[in-house]
Amino acid sequence: MKTRDIWRIAVITLFLLFMIVPLIATLIFSFSTRWDRTLWPEGLTLDWWKAVTSHKAFLLTLKNSFIASFATMLGLLALVTPTTYWMKLRVPKSKPIIELITTFSFGVPGVVLALALIRFYSKIPLPIINHPAILVAACMVLSLPFMYRPIVNALEAIDFRVLTEAAQSMGANGWAILTRVIIPNIMPGIISGCLLVFSTVFTEYTLTNLLVGTRFKTFPIYLVEFTRQDGRQASALAVISFIIAWITSLLIIWATSKGGREATHIVGR
Amino acid sequence: MTRITTITPRANKPTNSWSAWLGLAPFILFGLAFELLPLLSTIRSSLTNKGSLTLDFYRQAVEPLFLRSFINTIQLSATTAFLGVVFGTLVAYAIITTRNRFVRNALTALSDVTTNFGGAPLAFAFIVILGSTGIITMLLKQIGIHLYPNFRIYSISGLTIAYLYFQLPLMILLIIPSLLGLKREWHEAALNLGASTFQYWIRVALPILFPALVSGFLLLFANSFGAYATAWTLTGSDVDLITIRIAALIRGEVQLAPELADALSIISLLIMSACVIGYLWLSNRAKKVNA
Repeated sequence: MKTRDIWRIAVITLFLLFMIVPLIATLIFSFSTRWDRTLWPEGLTLDWWKAVTSHKAFLLTLKNSFIASFATMLGLLALVTPTTYWMKLRVPKSKPIIELITTFSFGVPGVVLALALIRFYSKIPLPIINHPAILVAACMVLSLPFMYRPIVNALEAIDFRVLTEAAQSMGANGWAILTRVIIPNIMPGIISGCLLVFSTVFTEYTLTNLLVGTRFKTFPIYLVEFTRQDGRQASALAVISFIIAWITSLLIIWATSKGGREATHIVGR
Repeated sequence: MTRITTITPRANKPTNSWSAWLGLAPFILFGLAFELLPLLSTIRSSLTNKGSLTLDFYRQAVEPLFLRSFINTIQLSATTAFLGVVFGTLVAYAIITTRNRFVRNALTALSDVTTNFGGAPLAFAFIVILGSTGIITMLLKQIGIHLYPNFRIYSISGLTIAYLYFQLPLMILLIIPSLLGLKREWHEAALNLGASTFQYWIRVALPILFPALVSGFLLLFANSFGAYATAWTLTGSDVDLITIRIAALIRGEVQLAPELADALSIISLLIMSACVIGYLWLSNRAKKVNA
């Protein structure tokens, strides 16, 4: 009994150290004057934070990352929600095709997706190459599974067929059924999906770097630039990145746990 | 004003009619425009040279120069996937056998959060702790262990450690359901029949877990094979990985035939998607067995 507890505590402690030390170290590093000669920081300062947040590019890149994330989110909502509902209701046979399109990005390295898009769209006369629009399209491909999964799960948890028939018998048209009946009932799934997409796109580097590069600078691009120039300011940016990732992830965990309960609640009613 | 409408149930029955498929058109068109057509065009261009069908670019893609990048990438992926599977399973087992529910949930949540960390911020965090003047580097120096110059965080071995940061939590999340599927009675039955706990693990538990472990390995392998941002931030072009090479070709840093980049991409794509398909197949089978 005792020895079993000891190995468990040892394993968990080592795991926690490995997962947490890099984060804490980066946090302290961003507040310290010098920390490359001594075991502990020689002093504490807010200088790096002040310096990095005062650059014009700081707010601009944050804004660009938010724009890319929200554009991807809206695009996916418009594409995935009606499609999934329609597939479940009318064309269940199409599921393999829909899921193949959805899981595409799992099997394709980011650099390959970027290359394929560049090679294809530089051949055809559609002016989206080098434009943020191609980045949003690529991010939609990348995060499709994260929007699709929670929405399908939420749809499967409610009796969408009965809800549809009930709404039809009261004279609602297709659009009203989707927006006023189905969507409110799968809201937890939609929220989880949106948060997952947000956290994926906000930290996206590969596609951004290769598709738009410096023409549309996002926060991760800005961060990598700083790791090459000024490590102290880069550490502050890394901390911001980690905080945003933590907040979205905790919201996702909160939304999924809530979603499960609400879905059963609706079915029970 | 009241309006009474009678609706024939025909309107929401599953069908295979043209009009019903038409409702999926936007989604399928999206898939064509941004997935299938770009991919097919890349495959086609990797196979054609001045209008005629050729395997030249594939022959060039497996010449020693690029073969080296593939081998490095495969080695890195296999190492981090293997270490991820071993340590991930160990930590996952420690988590599920913890009696305190709060600790259990907190550790699972931690895995959930950290498996999405990666790219630039993660790479930078590892420079802070394991760089040449990093915190751990100095700590070890104090007790007489000199990491540098034998170890460098800006190298393949450094990348292995950094990749484990997202591989480990991913494996934990993947394997927890399978570990929970191991019934306590099986362990007890084995002990009653005279087996030791070690024998139970070797002869009973591991064979049951085997498909889950293999599917975990495949997903972790693919996860690391396609990774680019962490490696690029940490090492720049110092480390010779295939994703780094393809990216350099896209950015035009290296002047070579664009069709060569296409061929390299298609080979990478085949390796990675084979792993993902293997993972999906195995995990679907596991689900059916459990059900």
